Amino acid sequence: MTLYSFHIFDRRGKTLFTKQYNAHFHQKVSSQSEEEQRKLVFGMLFSLREIMGTLAPPNDGFSEPTVLQSVKTGRCTVHVYETISGMRLVMYTDNFKQSDGNGNLAVRESLRYIYANIWVEYVVRSPLYRPGDLLAVGDKGEDLGSSNRRRFDIHSTEFEKRLDALVTKQKWYK
Amino acid sequence: MFLTLFIVNSSGGLVYTRQLSPLAPKINTNDSLRIASTLHSLHAIAAEAAPVKLPGNKNPRTGADDGIEVIEAGGMIMQCLQTRTGMKFIISSTSTKDDLSEILRNLYLLYTENALKNPFYELDMPIKVDLFNRGVDLLVEQFHSGNMR
Repeated sequence: MTLYSFHIFDRRGKTLFTKQYNAHFHQKVSSQSEEEQRKLVFGMLFSLREIMGTLAPPNDGFSEPTVLQSVKTGRCTVHVYETISGMRLVMYTDNFKQSDGNGNLAVRESLRYIYANIWVEYVVRSPLYRPGDLLAVGDKGEDLGSSNRRRFDIHSTEFEKRLDALVTKQKWYK
Repeated sequence: MFLTLFIVNSSGGLVYTRQLSPLAPKINTNDSLRIASTLHSLHAIAAEAAPVKLPGNKNPRTGADDGIEVIEAGGMIMQCLQTRTGMKFIISSTSTKDDLSEILRNLYLLYTENALKNPFYELDMPIKVDLFNRGVDLLVEQFHSGNMR
C-alpha cells in the first residue's frame, strides 16, 4: 500500500498541516492549486458527512455510529478520522486490498494514533502553542502586525519527525 | 440489509429512489433530490481532489468517469456504479463486508430492460414504471434471502 498525502484540517477548513509522500506518483499541480485541491477535499468530506448522517439507519445502540470513514475513487482512497473537536486527520492512500479485509481499519487506527499520541503530545502540549493560533499552511506571506495573536510554527515541535517515524514503520507503508 | 437506492441521471437529477428495507430512514422528496444532486457533484469532486487519478479521468474497462466508487461509514457502506452514459446507481447497505457490485449490475440490467425498453418512458425523467418497481423488490428479496442462507 502506498501513502500519497496527509492533511490535518481544523473545524473551519483551514489546513493545519499537510505533507506529500511518494510525490512521484502524483499528478503535477502548482502550489496554488494544491491549496485549491485541499479545499475540495475538505468540502467533499464536510458534505459527505452530512449526507451519511441523513442516510444512516436509526441508531439501535448496538451498531457503530455512522461517521464517515473512507471514500474510494478510481485510483486512491481517502481515509478520515474526525475528532470530537472537529479536527479532521485525512490520509490519501492507494486502493490496496489486504487479505484479511481490514486494511482500512489499520489506516484509521494509525490516524487515531497520530492524533492521540503525536498531535496531542507534541503540538497541543507544546508550551508555545495556544489553540487557534496555529500557523496555517500558506499563511507565510501575511502581515502579522495587525493581529494580536502570536503565530505558531509547527516546525518548532517534533511533530513532523514523529509523524514520519510512525508512518514509515507501519506494515502497510511502502 | 440494503437501505436506499438512488438512480441519478447524467445532469444530476434524481430519476428514482426507493427504500429497500424497513431499516432505511424516511427521507422526504426535497431531501432526496438534494442528496442525489449533491452525490452527483461530489462524485466528480472526489476525482478532482484526489492526488492520483485514472488516465483521462475515465475507467478504461467500463467507460465510466473517475469518481466515488465506495463510501464507508461506521456500520454502513454506500457504493456507486457509474455507467458509460453518465447514469449513477447508488445503493447503501448496512453490511460492511459485502461487495455491492453484483446488485448494482443487476439493477442496471433491470433499468435497461424495464425502463429504457419501455416505449412510454422518457429518458432522464423520473421512472414511474410498475415492472421496474416489481423487479427491484424481487431482486432485493433474492439478495436478502441469498445472504441469509
